[in-house]
Amino acid sequence: MQHTRKSGDQDEIKMFPVQIEKIYLDEKAEKDWGTQHLLKSLPDVPVERVEDKKNLIKQFLSITDPIGMGKRNLLITHFYGRRLKPCPGTSRHICCGYYVINAISNCPMDCSYCVLQGYLNNPFLTLYTNWDELLLEIEGFLSLVRTPLSRLGTGELSDSLAMEPLFPVSGFLASYFAERENGILELKTKSANVDPLLPLNHRGRTVVSWSLTPESLIGEEESGTASLNERIDAAKKCQEAGYPLGIHFDPMIDYVAWEKGYEELVDFLFSRIDPKRIIWISMGGFRYPAKLKGIAEKRFPKTRMFLGESFPGRDGKIRYLKAIRVEMYRKMVKWLREASPDLFIYLCMESREVWKEVFGWSPENSQHLNQLFEERVKKFIGR
Amino acid sequence: MKIIHKIPFQQIALLDETFSINFMPDLQSLRSSIKAVGLIQPVLLRKKGDQYQIVCGFRRISVLKELEIREVESRVLGESERNELELFSISLHENLTSRGFNSVEKAITLYKLVHHFQIEPSAVIQRYLPLFSLEPNEKILGTYLSLAEMEDEAKRYVLKEEVSRSNIRRLATLSSDDRRSLLSLIVPLKLGENRLREMLTLLDEIKRREQVIIKEVIDRPEIQAILAQKEFTPIQRTERVKRVLMDLRYPKMRHMEEEFEKKRKELNLPSGVSLHHPPYFEGNGLRIEFQFESVDEYRAILSSLSLLADKEEFREMIKV
Ligand code: SF4
Repeated sequence: MQHTRKSGDQDEIKMFPVQIEKIYLDEKAEKDWGTQHLLKSLPDVPVERVEDKKNLIKQFLSITDPIGMGKRNLLITHFYGRRLKPCPGTSRHICCGYYVINAISNCPMDCSYCVLQGYLNNPFLTLYTNWDELLLEIEGFLSLVRTPLSRLGTGELSDSLAMEPLFPVSGFLASYFAERENGILELKTKSANVDPLLPLNHRGRTVVSWSLTPESLIGEEESGTASLNERIDAAKKCQEAGYPLGIHFDPMIDYVAWEKGYEELVDFLFSRIDPKRIIWISMGGFRYPAKLKGIAEKRFPKTRMFLGESFPGRDGKIRYLKAIRVEMYRKMVKWLREASPDLFIYLCMESREVWKEVFGWSPENSQHLNQLFEERVKKFIGR
Repeated sequence: MKIIHKIPFQQIALLDETFSINFMPDLQSLRSSIKAVGLIQPVLLRKKGDQYQIVCGFRRISVLKELEIREVESRVLGESERNELELFSISLHENLTSRGFNSVEKAITLYKLVHHFQIEPSAVIQRYLPLFSLEPNEKILGTYLSLAEMEDEAKRYVLKEEVSRSNIRRLATLSSDDRRSLLSLIVPLKLGENRLREMLTLLDEIKRREQVIIKEVIDRPEIQAILAQKEFTPIQRTERVKRVLMDLRYPKMRHMEEEFEKKRKELNLPSGVSLHHPPYFEGNGLRIEFQFESVDEYRAILSSLSLLADKEEFREMIKV
């Protein structure tokens, strides 16, 4: 595949959420197009060549805030092993049958609640430059998979577009998916870095999605992300460029003024975005593995994320009390349906009971939800 | 070898604590020893103006004074023989070899090194933390510096209850007023490390949820009523205070528990039968447990359970 993009736009790079302090370059990745593009985009950042990645990672893990430090230091390397995996989902809950692509790990933005803080054992913002091998893996997967339309996305171990001005792997994947018939790509972001996507011939095979939170929480809990206004502006640009849009109210956060905050958020969204261009909307109450709280509160002593009434669920994750989640989801569904009755709304990692209490019905199981997605996508992209 | 002088107490600056690293010293054995054989080791003083500053021997001097002895055998350093940091270092090493330090004394020492003697924190970490067998890192230094800044009352609690470093860090996040109120709550309780952590976390979260100060939480009548109950043991008091804090921290959960309990009572279940909601009300379904000792009892329970289905309260409970 040809990599024909120009070197990074300086304005976009200025908007980058952190100052990159150093680039650690694995020799194997040196000649790759993605590496060259990145080095050209960051000409003033010192580069150190690395022979022993494991040792470098070990050294970093022993410093005071490896997570914060990792966000300011890039590691450019190759990924070995499987990079395409079923979304881990969660046991005893309904999952949507999504596949995650690991193209970047870690994220330059710094949300207080980000699960990556407790999850990654390599703290570096790591860019994998062996894109051609990635495409081979995706190709292999799509040729074997039985489902008529698979959904794949890169927003699991990073934000899909936060690095795009420097490392345009999402644009590269969007061009690839434009030529595929049985796969659809989702790019999930809290950034506004969409300009590189706009000129692409995506054929509606890439969904650009935003995770949305009331503005006051963005300021308090989502450091380095785009403001609500910027996100919606970016979504509007993508809408105009013909991309299907996805909206994720995830994590939904229980705070004193949540009703007002989320109602205004829905109003604001539909004052700018055409609901008919939204392919799906998800909702997921804030949930987290038990060890995240200690890690996050140490890094963000002022965070209010862990002040809700949360308890361990059947999958071991900590969630808001069911009654709270159900109330939040129901109200959201009401506001969303008032704006547009035909929206495709689903719950992320919830049980059948909760689905039933919110919608009055529930998918039979994860497979059933997956089928509903397929129907939705077919209808939406006109297949 | 320095000559030994007998220096009268009036000439010693007893309130000058520049080189002191004592906190709640245990003087009992020293007192017995001095009573039995007198002072074995002379103290070390420094001439300062027309007085003497104590460098080593604060505890010995304090015991001698208590025993109404009027003078103390001392070795005396000239005013400019050594600089202050060197003298502090002598005091530190003398104490290290003779008795060891409790955690507050470690904190005081480190605090003086950083704030009084202006030694760079990085140098304190590298040079002094290992002397106390502490890992040389910023976090540990930060913990001890914050302990040094706490009120004596809090320091005493830390020592007496052997509070861990992670709980010291939690205590350090509180304002001085909040810490004082907290002590009024926790001193009469029986808290191990884990219970103390739980209490501190609950109080901190209630404070931040309700945007109040800790004193307001502790002054609540339901907590004060527990503290006032003289017949409770410390363990009973601890359990009750924890229950109140849990209810304040998780009000919706408390409300659901209360509603469930109310309906459960209305069912008039036979004795030996208990009814449970799913853990944290996650998921649906109720669980009934019963115990019986005879076939008749078993039959009686089953027949009363079979009537539950007709009760409105029971139907409502299933919907929860
Ligand atoms: S944008 Fe996503 S990946 Fe990045 S820090 Fe926030 S939650 Fe984590």
